[in-house]
Amino acid sequence: MKKQIQTFIIFTLFTANCIAEMSRIDDTALSEVTGQSGVYLSGEVSINTLGGPSSNSYFGECTDLAKSCGARLTFQTQQGGGWFVLDNIKGSVAFEGLTFQVRMIDSGFGGDGALFNKSVMEIGMPESIRMKDFEFTLATGTSGRPDDAGYTQVDLMTVEMSGELTLEGNLLVFPTP
Amino acid sequence: MRLITSRIVKLTIFSALLPLTYASAEMTSLSDNDLSEVDGAGIGFVMDDFVFSHGNDAANGKIFKISGLNDSDGNAVSINVNQLYIARSGSDYGSILDPVNLGRLSNPFEIDLLDGNDLDVGVTDKAVLQLAAPTKVDVEGTGYSCTDPTKGVNSGDCSSRPSSLEWENGERPDMGLELEITTNSGGPKNLNFNVKSAVFDGSYLRLWGDDNLKMAAEFRLNFYTPELEISTCAQTNQACGSSVKMQDFQLELALGTTFQPLYFSADNTSPEFKGGLTLEISKITHEFINSLNAGVSDGTPGGIAAEAFFTDYYENENYRSNIMIGKLDIGGTDLGSAKIEGMLIQYLDVKFRDLDLVP
Repeated sequence: MKKQIQTFIIFTLFTANCIAEMSRIDDTALSEVTGQSGVYLSGEVSINTLGGPSSNSYFGECTDLAKSCGARLTFQTQQGGGWFVLDNIKGSVAFEGLTFQVRMIDSGFGGDGALFNKSVMEIGMPESIRMKDFEFTLATGTSGRPDDAGYTQVDLMTVEMSGELTLEGNLLVFPTP
Repeated sequence: MRLITSRIVKLTIFSALLPLTYASAEMTSLSDNDLSEVDGAGIGFVMDDFVFSHGNDAANGKIFKISGLNDSDGNAVSINVNQLYIARSGSDYGSILDPVNLGRLSNPFEIDLLDGNDLDVGVTDKAVLQLAAPTKVDVEGTGYSCTDPTKGVNSGDCSSRPSSLEWENGERPDMGLELEITTNSGGPKNLNFNVKSAVFDGSYLRLWGDDNLKMAAEFRLNFYTPELEISTCAQTNQACGSSVKMQDFQLELALGTTFQPLYFSADNTSPEFKGGLTLEISKITHEFINSLNAGVSDGTPGGIAAEAFFTDYYENENYRSNIMIGKLDIGGTDLGSAKIEGMLIQYLDVKFRDLDLVP
């Protein structure tokens, strides 16, 4: 025990004398710091292609045609008003090459780039994006949950998408004054 | 033992403090001048080199359909979306898909949380969420004509630039929605909406929570295009003659203000739920409206305030909607220009319902 305490004291004394100098990085030095900071993502997102985890009077497996199996989002814009419903969201989206990176813009953009002269966050649209049986339904309903007593829903329309999409470009995100 | 422990503690504290005495970082105070430049920032969005297109093309494994709609006999109507596109102007109805920019670095699309107490926002003690397109700018030095894409700078008050030799992308996209509708009684029939070199500058949507427990909105939609075309042409022959062309089309729609907000909801008032949408703008009033006599103040402070309020309400151009069509052309027949200017929406109560043709 005593030995340990002695070692600790000696160690503490030594470290107390270790003073590393912190020096300023000037603007020139900083300007040479570049980060190859970027992420390249590929993958597939599937939403409720077989059915969600809920199983009750309304939700169930996709094989059960009497039940709804997609994801569901509802919101209300007035107290006591009806609900907007984004219902039966299901299908999969596969993408190759979605990128995230920080990009310095100091040229281009029809002359705007040189005046802008700042870094932005760039989200690069994927090289290829493919949807498979992606669909959703726009609807309105009487209450928030579809298994509430007396719930009525009116489906307005269903949108269905499949196949390769043409989606190109970079979304630039930056703070504005 | 306790003595040793307390010594260790003292030593450790001392040794930890030692280096600190050498490191002296200077903290300086912020002056009023510095502080005045600190502002709540929003988030700007610019789409660079953007193209979007998708359409129903069964031969190539592409599906884009809208279903769930019924005709007046209750039969299902199926809609194939032949093409939905956003691309650089000169797209020739979406057949040439070159990249376009949306928003400028100096004037982007923006999401911002505004302070309602700001005079130009005007919702007391509330935070207001704003989604905004690029703003209008001064004509001098920065502005471009909103409708004429051939004109250069100093020709109007829109900030988005048309596609030109120097700046090919431009910030004005061609957009289109081309539908193929099949009903029980016949079809398929085509219905296409195509716009050239579209500009949305000056549009915004502000949302906040109202004291009536409703989501309140102030909505301005500015939409300018040198040509808006609605046609029934086949997908392969978009330039056919059966079309309505509106040239130099300008829409400036003002729905809702802070004192007369727009409410948007799903109708839940009828005993049997029909699920229609409702749009509502309540009628104009003022706290001291009774202090006005035939629109003139009775001299009390309340009356003076009410008169000033209504004078602004009737004279302020920002509360008024305009629709202007430079040239209307139906199937090759020129019908000249059409204008609806200075429309003030004083009250609105719209309910969408199903046509109950099937008993």
